Amino acid sequence: MILELNEDQKMIRDSARDFAEKYVAPIARKLDETEEFPVDLIKQAGEMGFMGVAIPEEYGGSGMDYVSYVLMMEEISRHCASTGVILSVNNSLVCDPLLKYGTEDQKQKFLKPLAMGEKVGCYGLTEANSGSDCGSMKTVAKKDGDGWIINGSKIFITNGTNADTFIVFTCTDASLGNRGITAFIIERTMPGVSVLPMHGKMGIRASGLAELVFEDVKLTDDYRLGDFNKGFKVAMTTLDAGRIGIAAQALGITKGCIVESVKYSKERAQFGKTISNFQGIQFMLAEMHAKYDASRLVTLKAAFLKDSGKNFSLHSSKAKILAAETATFASNKAVQIHGGYGYIKEYDVERFFRDARITEIYEGTTEIQKLVVSSILIGR
Amino acid sequence: MKFFVCCKQVPDVAMAFQIKDGELQKDDLNYVLNAYDASAIEESLVIQSNVSELDLSLVLIGAEKGKEALRKGLAMGAKEAFHIEGDAFEGSDSHSAANVLEAFFKDKDYDAILCGKQSQDMDMGLTSGLLAQKLSIPYVTNAVALKVNEEAKTITVTRQGDEGQEMIELPFPCIVSCSNDMNEPRIPSLRGIMQSKKKPMNKIGVADLGLSEDQVGKSGSKSTLLSMDFPKARKAGEKFQGDADELVSTLIDKLTNEAKVL
Repeated sequence: MILELNEDQKMIRDSARDFAEKYVAPIARKLDETEEFPVDLIKQAGEMGFMGVAIPEEYGGSGMDYVSYVLMMEEISRHCASTGVILSVNNSLVCDPLLKYGTEDQKQKFLKPLAMGEKVGCYGLTEANSGSDCGSMKTVAKKDGDGWIINGSKIFITNGTNADTFIVFTCTDASLGNRGITAFIIERTMPGVSVLPMHGKMGIRASGLAELVFEDVKLTDDYRLGDFNKGFKVAMTTLDAGRIGIAAQALGITKGCIVESVKYSKERAQFGKTISNFQGIQFMLAEMHAKYDASRLVTLKAAFLKDSGKNFSLHSSKAKILAAETATFASNKAVQIHGGYGYIKEYDVERFFRDARITEIYEGTTEIQKLVVSSILIGR
Repeated sequence: MKFFVCCKQVPDVAMAFQIKDGELQKDDLNYVLNAYDASAIEESLVIQSNVSELDLSLVLIGAEKGKEALRKGLAMGAKEAFHIEGDAFEGSDSHSAANVLEAFFKDKDYDAILCGKQSQDMDMGLTSGLLAQKLSIPYVTNAVALKVNEEAKTITVTRQGDEGQEMIELPFPCIVSCSNDMNEPRIPSLRGIMQSKKKPMNKIGVADLGLSEDQVGKSGSKSTLLSMDFPKARKAGEKFQGDADELVSTLIDKLTNEAKVL
């Protein structure tokens, strides 16, 4: 058994770390304050190859593996979870389904510019009254001659404010529930498409959250992604891999909490010595790191299984449960270690605490992940 | 044009070091490309984008692991790497390294050899000067800017001196040692990393250089490292509190009666 990164993976981790320290860290706090989508930073990330890490070079990607994608996501999210999720959505929720289900023409036209970072993508599944229960969605696609007419809206869409290309799931046969869903590619510039920015989030505040509204949007059939009425499979298999990215984002937040807490505990003196000398602090740091390491190993295993062409659903769900709960735990402890200073915006752990919480919610809540894991165990 | 950059792999200075019985503990160290060498590579790539043609090659003396530093340079954009590798090269001092590099460059065509002005681990800054002497070519240290004149076959070096900057024009071939103040080295992109796998990484042993084992590494060195230790911790300075008048009179008192400089 070899638990070591290969030379390429180490180089990618180092490049992502250098990029994050040089370009992401200096603006992360401002992005959180202003809720501003980091347009220039994402352009730079695209030039680095971070927008399509595991997409083959022939489709504009970097041609790396999913383990490399996890390493990149962790390093970026260690400084800014907003930037992390922007990259995660583009890589795993947009580029991945285009690669897996797209026609050659769709790959050339849509995947290439997204993987190169020339364009930004978003993933429209959630609606006001449909989250995990996506079979109850209200956005509909009606047959119109050889094409389609789309009506409805999607909410809580990461990257929505700045995305050029949307993957949108629609109901094409309400009587069939999950088996009546079809996926489409929609371009921002199409008549009938409007984007309404959403504000006031607790964390990951710079992720370009928006509502997407579709009013009689006309599509030709070559905008359909995957087979008719097979959109549920597109959505679910995409989220299976997406969870690896979110687990990696959570790992990054945890890493940030550990680094900042160790640093602070060695600087802050109380009762004549630094607080790193107190067992209460030492225990918190040890627990944070033990949980970090455990969730990191499961996340890397999920990525490794995906790279090996094996079934990874069980591991991606376990990785998300563990990494997300660890991020919540570690950010809570990080604030505790920082005391009053952890409660104000001058210290990054305050932001990490708010950013961590979403990792247990989006791309399938922790409870949904538990259903996935238990259903595989029980065999349902 | 043909440029070479001499590279070294050094322990990451951002890490905590351990010294035991006068020796640096190397097991847990991360090794990285010497930052000054990275600046020399970056400057060569900037020059490359401004001239009609420039081939950039890298050379490094060091253990097998050293190929990681060379790959980083290739991922940044260099064309080819030469890895002078083998147990015999262990423990080289600057003199020994310069001898090896002299043998390496003997049959090479080049217009300029760039080196980092020093290595981040030993901070000697000697190898480039010794190599220039052995190759009998012009040499300038501590460059902060370079400008190449292709037609005249010269390079104008802006060097940082103690009391200002000097501009010196050198004919090809020459050696320049580079400061890390000259640029911000690029971060290898994922595309660069993938491309670096396909670029030539030439391995060179002692025999390939026409040298014997006793001429290289520790045997070929003129200095011996006796022991290592951390610098003694300095005593913390005194801090005074009070209003401006009190602070000024305390300071005058200290300078007059303790430091006796007033």
